Amino acid sequence: MTATDQTLPANVVVTGASGWLGQNLVRALAGERERVRCLVRTDDDASLLSVVGPTIEPVVGDVRDPAALDRLFEGIGSASVFHAAGVIHPVAKMRELFDVNVGGTQLTLDRARRASVVRFVHVSSNSPFGTNARPTDRFNEDSPFDPYLGYGKSKMEAEQLVQRSFDHGDLETVIVRPPWFYGPHHPARQTQFLSAIRRGRFPLVGDGTQQRSMVFTGNLVHGMLRAEVAAAAPGRAYWIADAEPYELSDILATITRALAAEGLDVTSRSPRSIPRLGARFAETIDRFVQGTGRYVQAVHVLGELNHSIACDISRARAEIGYDPPTALFDGMREAIRFSLANGDAL
Amino acid sequence: MGRTILVTGGSGYFGTVVAQQALARGDAVRILDINPPALSADEAEYVAGDIRDLDTVRTACDGVDVVLHNVAQVPLARDRDLFDSVNVVGTANVLVAARDARVAKVVHTSSSAVFGRPESNPVVEDARCRPVEAYGRAKLRAEQLCHEAAAAGLDVTIVRPRTILGHGRLGIFAVLFDFVAEGSPVYVLGRGDNRYQLVHADDLADACLRAGDRQGPSTYNVGAVEFGTMRDTIQALVDHAATGSTVRSLPTGPAQLAMRGLATVGLAPFAPYHWLMYAESLFFDTTKARTELGWEPRHSNASMLIESYEWYLAHRDSLGSGSHHQSTVRLGLLKVLRRLP
Repeated sequence: MTATDQTLPANVVVTGASGWLGQNLVRALAGERERVRCLVRTDDDASLLSVVGPTIEPVVGDVRDPAALDRLFEGIGSASVFHAAGVIHPVAKMRELFDVNVGGTQLTLDRARRASVVRFVHVSSNSPFGTNARPTDRFNEDSPFDPYLGYGKSKMEAEQLVQRSFDHGDLETVIVRPPWFYGPHHPARQTQFLSAIRRGRFPLVGDGTQQRSMVFTGNLVHGMLRAEVAAAAPGRAYWIADAEPYELSDILATITRALAAEGLDVTSRSPRSIPRLGARFAETIDRFVQGTGRYVQAVHVLGELNHSIACDISRARAEIGYDPPTALFDGMREAIRFSLANGDAL
Repeated sequence: MGRTILVTGGSGYFGTVVAQQALARGDAVRILDINPPALSADEAEYVAGDIRDLDTVRTACDGVDVVLHNVAQVPLARDRDLFDSVNVVGTANVLVAARDARVAKVVHTSSSAVFGRPESNPVVEDARCRPVEAYGRAKLRAEQLCHEAAAAGLDVTIVRPRTILGHGRLGIFAVLFDFVAEGSPVYVLGRGDNRYQLVHADDLADACLRAGDRQGPSTYNVGAVEFGTMRDTIQALVDHAATGSTVRSLPTGPAQLAMRGLATVGLAPFAPYHWLMYAESLFFDTTKARTELGWEPRHSNASMLIESYEWYLAHRDSLGSGSHHQSTVRLGLLKVLRRLP
């Protein structure tokens, strides 16, 4: 960092506050800020999140609903915005991706501008950039858009809206691009993922030399908090990931070790291997199904597993002082402890 | 003590007992429940409402010194959505409302179900929790919320009771009492040599009130000190009743399968917790509760089972509706078992 940080605003607005990332972020903010205004989907989510602390101010509503966004920003004063609401795996229809990821971003940007917020930190994804041509390639902030299917397109359009808002002088915006993440407060699908690895049922596609960047939620929260204050950040985008990418086979082996380190019996057989052709077939099906406006999660995940999706975090290190302290083994142990503490059937 | 105590679930089986004890020692009692309480309006203030509604819980917590939180959907409810909304979200509502109303102490009544099948017995407070069914998982998630609220400054203590008995406690025990009263054979799984601990509602209420008096978050495992195997406990009841009932063994695996099968098609009143745990040993080390709270249980497994049975005999013709634990269950196909010679 070459310049001093901005002054920390007293208040924050968090969309997607009851989501996987949102819950981690809110817990990091709750003890530090005067008011943490949280957009949540249901009354139940509002109650559960409120337990975190008295600074939590839940607002129940949908990021697509203008009235809900009005309530979210009402009288918030000096604040930053963390826009973490988004749909990764739509329930059934592709339409939801665009309504939430693009429409919701537009609405949040608009209300943030009207509320004169100090800074707008937008959570993007690796998906607008597609996949690496070679396992050793790395995405950086100069990589061109090449969106991977519907989710990638929706997150690309959202990034473009955010950037335009900055270019027009509406807002100080920062885009963070996390790849595949892991950490506590994960949804049920992550429990199933861990459980499948424990039982040797998660497929290893090809020889497992595909490289994947991942990010521990704690690292990501650290990156977002740096993006909120770093003087160099406005108008910029940053890849926020663990220090180095991992090979897919290493990921499965490390998670297996982490499960064993937390006292769980793990399978001794090697993961079920699926030829690359199978994953390519899944990807073809995924493209076809998405083309008809529908979405099948298992097919999508299998198709994507074939690819290397790895990034270089040098710019975030240099410009905003991002320095991820946690790597896969320790981060996964924390995620597994979270599952065990909540009685999940791993 | 002269304090105001809110008893959530104060119209239910255990809630009524703890409300009466609080009243008896001089506390002012307020009850939050969806059903009207057994205590009269002179004895307790009644807030009618649902624990799932935060505004209602806020109203109930206003001006209260101590909250004893007992609302729960018990295993018999067999409804995962209710476990989540009542046991988890309901607890969140209590914690948030108590914090915002500056309540001095919350005592959360949890369950031994959070432990599932314990790695070893006796079970101490910080033993690993590995619940085996939806009820236990929901109760564990509620405990996690208590820890989170405590970390944020609320004084919350968790009390985990073993299976609760006492006069007026029915629920699944109504099956046993009905069989014994009729002189039918009663069954244990396998040899019935699993050590199974109960706790008397009076003893548990005493532990909860003592926990409410003690400053600082903590967790206590609470159960009878005198207890034996499942077969010993039931044999003591059968001997006492002298109705001609005998204790018989059923092969564990097939019997569990049958319990599960009958329950699934609605022909017997069992919940997963029953078939998973009836043959398991589960008993607490109660040292911490006894040393830190000065608590001493007065009832043994056998004495409380007999007391509950006697209450059942005296009231069996006039049993109405109430919470799961205040009502009998439908025997369903178990009636056939009862007619066996």
